[in-house]
Amino acid sequence: MKNVIDVKHLTKSYKSNKAVDDLSFAVKEGEILGLLGPNGSGKSTTMNCILSLLKFEAGEIKIFGKEMAPDAYDIKTKVGVVFQDVAVFDELTVYENIDYFCGLYVEDKATRAQYVEDALKLVGLEENKSQYPKQLSGGLLRRLNIACGIAHKPKLIFLDEPTVAVDPQSRNNILEGIKKLREDGATVVYTTHYMEEVEILCDRVIILDHGKIIASGTNDELKALAKIEEKVTIEIPDLAPEKLAGFDKIKNVSEVEYDNGILKIVYRKGKNNLIDMMEYLKENMIQYNKIFSERPTLNDVFLELTGKELRD
Amino acid sequence: MIVSKAFWKIVLKNIGAIITPTIVLLMFGTISASSTVTTAQYEACRPSIVIFNHDENVGLTKHFVEYLKKNAEVKTGYEDNDRLKDALFYEEVSVVVEIPENFHKDMALGHKPEIKMRSSAGYVAELSKVVVRRYLSVAEGYAATNLSEQALVEKVDAAITNDVETEMKSAVDTSKFAKASRYYSFANYTILSCFITIICLIMSSFNREQIRKRNLVGAIDIKKMNRILLKNCCVYAVGAWAFYVIVSFFTLGTDVMFTTQGLLYAANSLVFAAVATTIAYLVSIFALSAGAVNGLQNVLALGSSFLCGAFVPAEYLPESVLAFAHVLPSYYYIDANDRIMKIQQFDADTLLPIFLEMIAVAGFAVAFVVLANIISKKRQKIA
Repeated sequence: MKNVIDVKHLTKSYKSNKAVDDLSFAVKEGEILGLLGPNGSGKSTTMNCILSLLKFEAGEIKIFGKEMAPDAYDIKTKVGVVFQDVAVFDELTVYENIDYFCGLYVEDKATRAQYVEDALKLVGLEENKSQYPKQLSGGLLRRLNIACGIAHKPKLIFLDEPTVAVDPQSRNNILEGIKKLREDGATVVYTTHYMEEVEILCDRVIILDHGKIIASGTNDELKALAKIEEKVTIEIPDLAPEKLAGFDKIKNVSEVEYDNGILKIVYRKGKNNLIDMMEYLKENMIQYNKIFSERPTLNDVFLELTGKELRD
Repeated sequence: MIVSKAFWKIVLKNIGAIITPTIVLLMFGTISASSTVTTAQYEACRPSIVIFNHDENVGLTKHFVEYLKKNAEVKTGYEDNDRLKDALFYEEVSVVVEIPENFHKDMALGHKPEIKMRSSAGYVAELSKVVVRRYLSVAEGYAATNLSEQALVEKVDAAITNDVETEMKSAVDTSKFAKASRYYSFANYTILSCFITIICLIMSSFNREQIRKRNLVGAIDIKKMNRILLKNCCVYAVGAWAFYVIVSFFTLGTDVMFTTQGLLYAANSLVFAAVATTIAYLVSIFALSAGAVNGLQNVLALGSSFLCGAFVPAEYLPESVLAFAHVLPSYYYIDANDRIMKIQQFDADTLLPIFLEMIAVAGFAVAFVVLANIISKKRQKIA
């Protein structure tokens, strides 16, 4: 597959602060690339540089094999952007807003009308098309924001944290919509600090911190960097200190932490650790309310690489 | 074009914001047109005089009495002194003239016989005395040249009947243009208010950072988009101006508007509409919320209208206020309206100051456009 985006040695500073530091990466056609990182890691700056909304000191950006520039309208026609903040006209209805932003790319009225209907359907706003933005809930407003960015059926879509402050129903709708866009052939660059979304959506992930790539790869490739095999959490209201000490001796256990009736156990290796743990609890007659196991997350990867949480 | 379509949809959505100042203008225009303008009517004043003639009614005395009868209303029946006093007190009679015995002879001999006069307190009495003294002054002047009494009468008669011919050079009734002047000066508030409100609300919508970013990533040249927006602002401005002029035809009447003055009022307001558009365009760079637009609109429209005499005539404003008003285009617009109202004759002396004030207003428009472009470019510079 050919590269849709090629970023080479991109550097962008705000006065003495390097927001993006010698960044190089490529996005392949048809993939969903996740740009993951905490606030201030350089995700939005990278995206704005790619879109020629920001000037940069050094580097090269190519989209569809052509150099990106503010007046590269042939490239812009094929690009859709959904910004983090909702960008719609309060004076226009849902339909009129989508029609306007679609009209920045598509002149033909009949084609545009069909595209607007498709966008409304994609984000589930068919019943709200006559409403004004102020009449919409936060979640529906976010959906409208997305519809405005993708209505012209772009080949490359940038989504900058589109699910911030969105209710679960709207979030699911948005994520399903993005999957559908990929199925229709679009390439997606998805910027977020929600690792769960990246895990659900993205084929490949780039983790940024302080404007640099600290890791990149598929979900599994990244999780392999975490050096954690499994995490088991058990709710035990009363755990005597002598019994707590016993957990360290269980096979494959590398860390034990007990706080406020919650016991967290980290396994660095091993299989079927949860079954072994349940047997241990039964043998030692330790009563518990809940027990669950989880695989390492991208947050663990980030923690492993930077020593801090993604949402710090 | 999608940008123009969005522009006019936003105009329609905000139409309520300009209805109030427009209704106020319509009401003002209607009330102004139906109000009575006071016009001064001048007529000759004939003071009331009582004559007590103690001389024979011949020669110069007879001529003097006839002169008084011609220039005043000579009253009789005041022989009773108390009645005469009351008449003077209540100003039924302005002056009592007593012609002494041998008046005509003494005057012909060059003596200066004393005419006794008693007068009431009003200004008409003073006027009456002037009438009497005028005759005596002329008669005494000729008497000094040793003329016969007959010749003296003839000379005095010729002198006092030599009236100055006066002719009305212009029949223009400026009072009917006072209504037009009031309407168009009040339009200073309406035009500024409506233009700032609509243009700023539209431009602030398009200039909002997120919308601007979305427009920048769109496949339309942002400079072309700005040109389209500016063109639509101009179309709105011309449309609104035309509406206010058409309204003036109905409220002020075609006899006022289908005149050269009416044309000048319309032209002056068109130039002002241009400057109001540029003011609104400049303000829109700063006002990015409806609240800010509302605040600035009130300050600029109401402020300039008060300072420059749109609500209160300029002659009632303190000099310090008028001195400050000179830096505002509204001052020149309203002053030009006043000048149009006062036109009696169409010549260079009356028209040149009006055209110069229109040029001054146009100059403000150019300055505001340049300023807006400089600020706008600085703000739009990509980081």
